[in-house]
Amino acid sequence: MNTLSNTSNDLVKQAGEAGNVAALISDLQQLLPASGLIMSTESQRPFECDGLAVYQQLPLITVIPETVDQVQGILRLCYSHRVPLVPRGAGTGLCAGAMPHAEGVLLVMTKLNKILHINQHTATARVQPGVRNLALTDAAKPMGLYYAPDPSSQIACTIGGNIAENSGGVHCLKYGLTVNNLLQVTLVTIEGKLITLGGDGLDEPGMDLLSLFVGSEGLLGVVVEAKVKLLPRAPRVQVLLAAYDSVTAAGDSVAALIAQGIIPAGLEMMDHLAISAAEDFVKVGYPTDAQALLICELDGTDAEVEEQLAVVSQCFKLHGAKNVRVAKDAAEADALWQGRKAAFPAVGRISPDYYCMDGTIPRSKVGHVLTRISELSNTYGLRVANVFHAGDGNLHPLILFDASVDGELERAELLGGDILTLCVDVGGTITGEHGVGLEKMPQMPYQFGDAELAQFRRLKAAFDSEELLNPGKGIPTLKYCQEYRSLQHG
Amino acid sequence: MVDLTQQLEDQVQHAYVTKTPLKIQAGNTKAHLGRETSGEVVDMANHTGVVSYSATELVIRVRAGTKISQLNDLLAEQQQRLPFDPPSFNGEATIGGTVAANQTGASRPWFGGVKDSLLGLGLINGYGEAMQFGGQVMKNVAGFDVTRLQCGAMGSLGLITDVSIKLLPEFKAGHTVTFEMTAEVALEAMLRWANLSLPITGMSHFQGLLYVRLQGGDSGVTSASNFLGGEQLNFVAAKEFWQALKEGRLLQPTSNQILWRWSGASDSPISAVSNTSLINWAGAERWILETGSNPPLEGLTQHKGGDRLAQVFGAVSPPQQALQQRIKYAFDPHGILNAGRLYSWM
Ligand SMILES: Cc1cc2nc3c(=O)[nH]c(=O)nc-3n(C[C@H](O)[C@H](O)[C@H](O)COP(=O)(O)OP(=O)(O)OC[C@H]3O[C@@H](n4cnc5c(N)ncnc54)[C@H](O)[C@@H]3O)c2cc1C
Ligand SMILES: Cc1cc2nc3c(=O)[nH]c(=O)nc-3n(C[C@H](O)[C@H](O)[C@H](O)COP(=O)(O)OP(=O)(O)OC[C@H]3O[C@@H](n4cnc5c(N)ncnc54)[C@H](O)[C@@H]3O)c2cc1C
Repeated sequence: MNTLSNTSNDLVKQAGEAGNVAALISDLQQLLPASGLIMSTESQRPFECDGLAVYQQLPLITVIPETVDQVQGILRLCYSHRVPLVPRGAGTGLCAGAMPHAEGVLLVMTKLNKILHINQHTATARVQPGVRNLALTDAAKPMGLYYAPDPSSQIACTIGGNIAENSGGVHCLKYGLTVNNLLQVTLVTIEGKLITLGGDGLDEPGMDLLSLFVGSEGLLGVVVEAKVKLLPRAPRVQVLLAAYDSVTAAGDSVAALIAQGIIPAGLEMMDHLAISAAEDFVKVGYPTDAQALLICELDGTDAEVEEQLAVVSQCFKLHGAKNVRVAKDAAEADALWQGRKAAFPAVGRISPDYYCMDGTIPRSKVGHVLTRISELSNTYGLRVANVFHAGDGNLHPLILFDASVDGELERAELLGGDILTLCVDVGGTITGEHGVGLEKMPQMPYQFGDAELAQFRRLKAAFDSEELLNPGKGIPTLKYCQEYRSLQHG
Repeated sequence: MVDLTQQLEDQVQHAYVTKTPLKIQAGNTKAHLGRETSGEVVDMANHTGVVSYSATELVIRVRAGTKISQLNDLLAEQQQRLPFDPPSFNGEATIGGTVAANQTGASRPWFGGVKDSLLGLGLINGYGEAMQFGGQVMKNVAGFDVTRLQCGAMGSLGLITDVSIKLLPEFKAGHTVTFEMTAEVALEAMLRWANLSLPITGMSHFQGLLYVRLQGGDSGVTSASNFLGGEQLNFVAAKEFWQALKEGRLLQPTSNQILWRWSGASDSPISAVSNTSLINWAGAERWILETGSNPPLEGLTQHKGGDRLAQVFGAVSPPQQALQQRIKYAFDPHGILNAGRLYSWM
C-alpha cells in the first residue's frame, strides 16, 4: 500500500485549505502505522464508490484503523481540524452512502473484524463492526444458532454497515430487520467519545436511542462494537415455489396469505424477466414461461410446518397458482433459493448496467404498483425486472440500461424517481432497506414535509453540530429542499 | 372517535410562546410512576379512535388516547392481537401512554417489545409542530427513526398523536405448564428451553414455581407441551397468573417498600441479583421487592414506591446525559414537555 507520497502534496493543494489538511495528515501519520493510511490516487481507486457505482468520488485520504483507540483518535482529529469524515464498511451499500467526500477522510472499518464473544446461553454475540454478516452466522452454526438479518450481500457486507442501513434480508418478514435483532451498540462520537446505547437486557429505561441510531447512515456516529441477538435454527425448513400467469395473481396470493395470518420465514417474488435471467444463469429449473414466481419458506417444528404447508399450498392454488412445487429435500430447497439470491448478478448478465430501486408499499398494492411500473417502463423505453421481498411489500425494481448510450443513465434515474414517488403516493416509502445516502436525496422532500426535515436536521446537530459526519447524505439541507420544490413547481 | 390534533397543536404552540410547562396525561391512572412532573395538563384521553384498520394488511393506525382494552376488543373480532401484549391496567391505559412508557408483556423475548411492532407515529414537538414519521408499511428507512425513539421517552420529546402498529394473528391454542423449582434450577431450564425453537410466549419464576406459557398452532403447542412435561395449569388459573404478572399485581409495594426492576443478560446468575422476588422474560427481567429506600444493587429502576423525585430510572453516563439533553433540545428547546418526568436534568 502506498503511504505519504508526492500525490498527497497535490491533494493538499487541491483541497484549498492547505494548512488544515497538511496538519491533519501529519497528525494521522502520528496516529496510524503506514499501512493504515492510503494516499495515492491509484490505491484509493477501489474506495471511490460503494455498490452504486454511478456515484464516484476520490477522498482526500483513506484510513484503515485496527483498534477502537485509533478510531477515536481519527474522529478527534477530524473534529479538531474540522474535516469531514465518511465511515465505510464493505462498500456494498446501494445508495452511495459510503461514497467518499472530496475534502474528507474515508474511514474504512473492515480491519475491526473480530467476533469478540458468542454466548450460547443467551444466544447473543458481541462483534466488531467489520465482521462480515455471513461470517457471524458461520461462527454461530456449531452452536445451532444464526444471525437472522441476511441481506443478499451477506457474504461481503459488514455488521457496521448493516446497523448504519438497518439492513434486512429474505428472512426479515418473520425475524425482523437489523433494528429488531440488536441489543447494544458502542459508538464513537465525532468528538471521539465512546457512548454505549442499549444494554445487556431487552428494554433499558429511557428513550430508545439505540433504535434512533440504527439506520442513521453514518451521520450520527461510528459503530465500533455491537451486541446482536442470534436465533436457534428451526428444526424443519420447507421451501415452496408457486408459478403464476400474472403478477397481479401472485401479488393477490401474497396479500391473501398474510390476511390468513400466516407469516412465512420468507416470501419472495420474481417477475418474468427476472425469472428468465435467473434461470439462464443458475439453471435450477424455474418455469420460464411463468409471468411471476413466489418463493415461500416455512420454518418451525415438524408439526408447525406441516400445518402451515397445507394452508399455504391451498391459498396459492386458490389465488391462481398454476403450479406449486414443494422442495423434496434441503438440496432442492437450496436450489430454489439460489435463483432468487443470484437474481441481481443474473440481471447484470442480460444488461450492461442496472439500477436497483428499494421502495416499500402496502402489500395490497403490489399488483397495482407492478402494473404501473410496467407502464412507466414502456414510457421510458427501459426494461424493468422485478425481484423483491413480496411478504413485506419491499420492491426492488431493477432498471436495465446501458450507461455507454448517451442519455440512458439520466433516463434510468428519471424512471427510478418516478417509481419512488409512486411508492409514496400509494402510502409507502422511498426506501425499505437500502437507505437514502446521496442517491435518494431528491425524493426526501417528496416523502417528508418541512417540519419533519427540520426535525431531522436538529437531531443531526444534537450528535454532530459541525456537520462533519457523512455530510451531504441522508438528510437534505433547507436550501436543497427549497431548490427541489422550486424545480418541481417551476 | 375524536380528532383533537389541531387543539393539541394550538395548546403546545401557545405554551411554546409563553414558555409554559406542560404535563402530558392520558389515562393518568398511574401518576405516581416515573418521576413527578408538574405543569398545565395536556389531556390526551379524549383524542381517540381508529384512523384506519386494514385487517388483511395486519396494520392498524389509532389515535393516542385510544384505550388498550378497546384496541384488544377490536382486534379480537378479527382474530388479531397486539404483538407486544401490553398491560391495560383496569382498562384505563392508552396506546400513547403505553408507547411513551414502553410497556410490554411476558412474551417480550419471543415477540419483541413496543418498538418491534411500531411502524410509525404522529408527534407534536415542543414547538407545537405536528409531524408524521414512519408510516404503515413494514419496512421504512427514510430519515432518522424518530418513531422508535419515542419508546420509553415518557412524553419528554413530544405528544404522540397517533400510532401505526403491525399486528399478528391471534394464537389458535394456548397452554401453561408449571414446575416446582428453585430459582437457580428454573433459570437453567429457562435458558435451555428459550433456545429450542418451541412456541413459548412466557417463562417466569415466582414463589417456587416456574411457569411456561405455550401459544401457537394446535399441533405445535401440544407437541411442545408433551416435550416439556410439567404440571398442567387449568385455563382460569393460567389466565389469572399471566394477567396479574402483566398488570404488575404479583408484587405490590407497601408504603415502606420499593419495587425495583433489573434488566440484563438472561444468564446472569441468581446470586448476581440477590433477593429476586420474580423472574420474568426467561431471566432477562427480574423484580426485587425491598423494604427501605436504598437500592439493593446498582443500575436498577425504582419502578414503584419510594421517593418519586429521586433519579428513578437510574444513572446515565456523562456523555450520554449530554447527548440526551441535546436531543431533548432538538425537540423541545424551551423544555416545556414533561419536564423532569424521565430525569431530573431533562
Ligand atoms: C448484490 C447486493 C445485494 C444486496 N442485498 C441487500 C438486501 O437483501 N438487503 C439489504 O438491506 N441490503 C442489501 N444490499 C445493500 C448493502 O449490502 C447493505 O446496505 C449493507 O448493510 C451495507 O453494508 P457495508 O458493510 O457494505 O456498508 P457500506 O456500503 O460500506 O456502508 C453503508 C453505510 O453505512 C455507513 N457505515 C458503514 N460502516 C459503519 C460504521 N462502522 N459506523 C457507522 N457507519 C457505518 C456508511 O457510511 C454508509 O453510509 C445489497 C447490496 C448488494 C451489492
Ligand atoms: C416505570 C413504570 C411502571 C409502571 N407500573 C405500573 C403498574 O405496576 N401498574 C399500573 O397500573 N400502571 C403502571 N404503570 C403505568 C403504565 O404502564 C403506563 O403509564 C400506561 O400503560 C400508560 O397508560 P396511560 O394512558 O394511563 O398513560 P399515563 O399514565 O397518562 O402516562 C404515562 C406516560 O406517558 C406519557 N404520555 C401519555 N400519553 C402520551 C402521549 N399521547 N404522547 C406522549 N406522551 C404521553 C405521560 O406524560 C406519562 O409520562 C407504570 C408506568 C411506568 C413508567
